[in-house]
Amino acid sequence: MAVEVRIPTVFRRFTDGAPTESVEPGTLRDVIGELGSRYPNFEEQVLTDEGELHRFVNVYINDEDVRYLEKLETKVGDGDVVSLLPSVAGGLG
Amino acid sequence: MTELPDRVRLPRSLWERLVTHCAAERPNEACGVLGMQGPDVVEIFEMTNVESSPVRYRLDPKEQLAVYNRLHERGWDFASFHSHTRTEAYPSPTDVKEAREDVPYVIVSLAGDAPAVRAFRIVKEDWLDLTGEVQEVPVEVAG
Repeated sequence: MAVEVRIPTVFRRFTDGAPTESVEPGTLRDVIGELGSRYPNFEEQVLTDEGELHRFVNVYINDEDVRYLEKLETKVGDGDVVSLLPSVAGGLG
Repeated sequence: MTELPDRVRLPRSLWERLVTHCAAERPNEACGVLGMQGPDVVEIFEMTNVESSPVRYRLDPKEQLAVYNRLHERGWDFASFHSHTRTEAYPSPTDVKEAREDVPYVIVSLAGDAPAVRAFRIVKEDWLDLTGEVQEVPVEVAG
C-alpha cells in the first residue's frame, strides 16, 4: 500500500498528464515534497512562497479537510487518498 | 496542456435537466459539474452554490470532493457549469479570474427569451493568473 494523490486538471501539465500519483507515507508536506522532487514546478503550484498551502486549493486526506487537522504536518498513512481540489467559483458580478 | 474535448455533446434530456435546475435556482446562480466521457455529457451533478447569490457562485468543497470521487470511480472526465440569470452565456471577468480547472466551463444563460447553453475553455499561463484567453467549445444538443 502507498498514498494515492489525486491531481487536479490544472496541475496535470506539471505531472506529464498523470491524474494520480503514488507516494510513500509521511506528512502532507513530505507528500507534496516527493511530488515536487518528481516534477519540477509542482510544489510551487500548491504552496505559497511562505511554504503554506495556497488559499485557492483545498486539500483533503480521505474526507477530512487538512485545514481542520494539522495542515501540512498532518500524517498521511498507507492507503490514504490525498485530494487536491482547486476552488471552483465565478459569476457575473 | 491537458487534452480537452473539441466539443461538448449534450443529450436533449440532460440539456432539459440542466436548464430546469438553473431555472429552479433563480434568482441565484446555479452551479455544478457535468460528468463526461470524451465529448459526451453522461451525468449532471447539481450542486450547492455556497454563495447563494444572483451574481456569484462557488462550489461547496465537501460536495466537490464527493462528486470528484464519483467521477474518479467511474473514470469520467468533467466540465463545470453555472448559470447567468441576467447576462449572456459568456465568461464574465469574474469567471475568467476564478477559473482554476482546466476543463470546459459550461454557462447557461436565462437572460433571453430562450435558454442558451455555451461552453468555453479558459486558458491561463499560470492557474493563479487573473486573466486568460477565452476559447469557445461548441455545444451540440442531440436526441
